[in-house]
Amino acid sequence: MTDFEDQLRRALERRDPSPDFAARVLAQVSNRHKPRAQSTWFDWRPWTAAAVAASLLIAATGLDLDRRERITREQGEEARAQLIQALSITSTQLNKIHKKVQGALR
Amino acid sequence: MTSSLAQQAAIQRTAEDTDRAFEAALREHQSMVFSVAYHFFEDHAAAEELAQEVFLELYRHWREIQSSEHLVHWLRKVASRRCIDQARRRKLRRHLSLDDAPEPFSLMPATDPLVKRYIEQLLAALAEAPRMIVILRYQEGLDPAEIAEMLEMPLATVKSHLQRSLALLRKKLAFAAPEETI
Repeated sequence: MTDFEDQLRRALERRDPSPDFAARVLAQVSNRHKPRAQSTWFDWRPWTAAAVAASLLIAATGLDLDRRERITREQGEEARAQLIQALSITSTQLNKIHKKVQGALR
Repeated sequence: MTSSLAQQAAIQRTAEDTDRAFEAALREHQSMVFSVAYHFFEDHAAAEELAQEVFLELYRHWREIQSSEHLVHWLRKVASRRCIDQARRRKLRRHLSLDDAPEPFSLMPATDPLVKRYIEQLLAALAEAPRMIVILRYQEGLDPAEIAEMLEMPLATVKSHLQRSLALLRKKLAFAAPEETI
């Protein structure tokens, strides 16, 4: 190695960074790269809550629909019974009138 | 050697305690990574910032490191490439050419600390790739073939950069060995 190269090598000797360099890197490592289990849990909570709420809503809607259908069916059956009764009364009255008309004609 | 073996053992334990092995590697190699960046940028803060980025990347790739030799190679490679990329991106290279550099003292003893400073200034005036080649050659003691592999350059290009840079530096430095002086 020539004098010049030796001089160059001495000028480019390694030197140390600041005394707190390693501590700063380690702090960065723990801030940036540690797994965040707690935050993952917090991320999932709203989704879980939303899913439960959606399930309850669907169940409640289903129950309400069932109740409404039952009421409508009962009301329909009651109306049908009333109609049959009304037709029966009308038929009886018409028969009576028919007999009276027949008697008058004789 | 003992240190190398200890580090090898530390790397093998990474599955058990990555953090401890990483910290050992950080403390052992921080001066190497910092010095590559410092001699490249000639700026303490910029060098520490880059060295920090290199070690954070090392932590992310820790499981890929296979041995202490691989670790040193990885750190040199990532540090040198990041230096060149960052200098090109941020235009940190000084707008000082070797022709503009001040002349050294006419009689300059080889041990003068001013020579060190002057060499650093001359080095900062080189283009990115030749600058890094000189640093890897004289700070890290790598041969041209290793530098070519590290920087992914043809060997002939590395040798050419090295010869040209040394000729320019030598000419500018006007070395003052007693027998060479007036």
